[in-house]
This record gives sequence, C-alpha cells and structure tokens, in this order.
Amino acid sequence: MEESSDAALIAASLEEPVRFGAIFDRHAAVLHRYLVRRLGPDEAETMVGEVFRIAFERRHTYDLLRPTARPWLYGIATNLLAKHRRSEARRIHAMARLVSQRLPSDDEAERVSRAVDAAARCRVAAELVSSLPEPERDALLLHVWEGLSYDEVAETLGIPVGTVRSRLHRARGRLRELVAGRGREQGDERRHPGRIES
Amino acid sequence: MSDDFDPLRQLRPDRVEPDDPGDPAMFSRAKEQLMSTIDQDHAPTYTLATPDIYPRLAYRDELAAVEYLTRVFQFSEQREARQEYDGKHLCWMRVGTGVVMLGRDTPVHRIHSPQDVGLTTVMMNVYVHDIDAHYAHAVDQGADITMELQDAFFGERRYEATDLEGHRWHFGERFDDIRARGGQAP
Repeated sequence: MEESSDAALIAASLEEPVRFGAIFDRHAAVLHRYLVRRLGPDEAETMVGEVFRIAFERRHTYDLLRPTARPWLYGIATNLLAKHRRSEARRIHAMARLVSQRLPSDDEAERVSRAVDAAARCRVAAELVSSLPEPERDALLLHVWEGLSYDEVAETLGIPVGTVRSRLHRARGRLRELVAGRGREQGDERRHPGRIES
Repeated sequence: MSDDFDPLRQLRPDRVEPDDPGDPAMFSRAKEQLMSTIDQDHAPTYTLATPDIYPRLAYRDELAAVEYLTRVFQFSEQREARQEYDGKHLCWMRVGTGVVMLGRDTPVHRIHSPQDVGLTTVMMNVYVHDIDAHYAHAVDQGADITMELQDAFFGERRYEATDLEGHRWHFGERFDDIRARGGQAP
C-alpha cells in the first residue's frame, strides 16, 4: 500500500478538494510541533489549522515538481509566525531560564562549573535568537531545531541556497563570539538570573 | 554532532521540557475544521474526546502493528494525529469509543514488546459489533487465534487472539446486542 506523493495529492485536490485532507494527515503533527517549539502549545493549536487552510487556498500555486509539501507548509507557518515575535522572545528566554535552573545539586566543583557554563551558553543563544532579524532567525531555527537541510530551508523561505548559507554563517559567527565573550562573565550571570530579559 | 549551534540545539523546547506527544483529539478537531472549510457538504464526524485512561502498547515495529491491527482486527488509525520523531512513531487507533496508543518500545517509559520479554501481563478487551463477522474476518486475515469463538456463561460471545508481537486481544459482544442485531444468542 505505497502512498502517492504530496504533489500527486495536491494535483488531485484541484479537481477533488477533499483529497487535500491527506496532506493534513501527513504533516499536521510536524507543523504543530514546529509551532509549539517557537510559540508554545496554546498558539500552536490555533495556528496549525490556519496553516492548512492557507495551504488549501493556495494549492493552485504549489510547484508540482516538488514531491514533498513539507517545506512549502513550513514556509506558510513561518510567515504566520512573523506576527508573534513577542511571544517567541518570551518563550525562548523562558527556556534559557529553565536550563539554568537545572544546575546539579552535586557539589563536585568541576561538574557545577561545566553546568554553569552550559547554562550561560544557552542564555547567550536565547539572546542571540531574539535579537536576530527575522529572516536570519527563521533560517537558523529551521536548520538547527527542525533539522532542515540548506536546500530545504531555501525552499521553505523562497530564497537562494547561497543566502541560507550566508545567513547561517553569520549567525554561527555571532553565536561563537557571544559565547566567548560571555564565558568571562558567567559568575555574574548566575547571581542575576533575570538580567538578560530586561 | 557537536558544533557552535549546540547551545541553541539544547534550547529546543521539547529538549528542555519533557516531550508531550499531544492530544490526538486536538488534531481531529483541527482536521474537522479544515474539512468543513474545504467541503461545504462535509458531514461533520463527531470527534471523540480522548478517554481519561487509555493504554500505550509497545512494539518493535509500530507501523507494522498499525497495519496489522487495521487489516486483521479492523481498527482505524487517527492518521492526522500520528507523530514521528527520530524515525519512531506514535500512533493512535480508534476502536469504538476507545483509543489505544502504539509506540516503539522505549527505555524512557520502560515498556517493552512482548516479543522481547517473552510474555505479556495485560489483555486488551474490545467490544465489537457482530462478533461472528469480526471473528470470520480475523481468521480470514490469518489471525493467531488463542481462544476459539465461544459463548461465555456471563452473557457474552467472545474470542481471543494474539497479535504480531504477542499482545493479547479479547473481543466480545454481549448477548443482548447479538439479539438486537437479529443474531442468535443463548
């Protein structure tokens, strides 16, 4: 019982709209998880339906040479995210806080210092993500969190793969710089856990 | 894999907090809404709430289990709720008003396929409509019948079968229900 490609289903849905339901079946869980990661479960539940309604309305524009619709759907979801910048920033800082609260109770000095170090790096990463211009943040998170390849990120965002490469290269460089800079202040970090947020 | 993106990778919310597989009924509601937008004549199917208690069964090959339970025992998967992660799947199957969750055997939750432990400690009880037809279909599909179809003293016709990895299933229909559909019952 080999299933037909997304492209074939979308093509069939032009004549017979209900066929589009199978696109939801295949991809809703992944898209929902993406929205949960970036915004949290409450917003994600409302938005996942929106993504597929928009996709359905735009199915005439789908490039039938692309067998899988996932990057296209990621693209629609990513466009919707643009309106939620603030909740996204809140969420990622909350994650960074959670990571730093999980310092080990073990008082073995080296282990603690490693954990503090990791927590500080996560805070820096959270700071970076929320300070990045949207196009860079989208490319970064699609690659690092969603595991999309450079080609898939390019397809998702509708940009050349060279642009993806340079966006990720820039983000990587800034992250490395920030981590190196922050390493020296990490004791400070720990005494003022709320500081980064202000 | 370890590189400059590691701190960001560690911040992925489902790594920071335990990964909640989500409520399958949520996906069904969202799909129902989509389908009624797509098709004005779409007859809304009643989306069953997820029961407060339902089992999660572990398999070595959860997709083969979905195929088997669908083909042999006529369960239906809530396909829109299927979740995939690292090549593993979580699937929800609707059986009347009930639901069972199927997943890979997992050291996190410490549940195992009977195939690995050599026995099982649980039996799934399922009420079906027309047990005679259900039994005939299962036999026809090559089910491993571990108790033949029989009338039990407590007022139920039943049979049992063991699935492809050794989970035990008990299927039954109450005598009253058999009579109500025009069948013969003691």
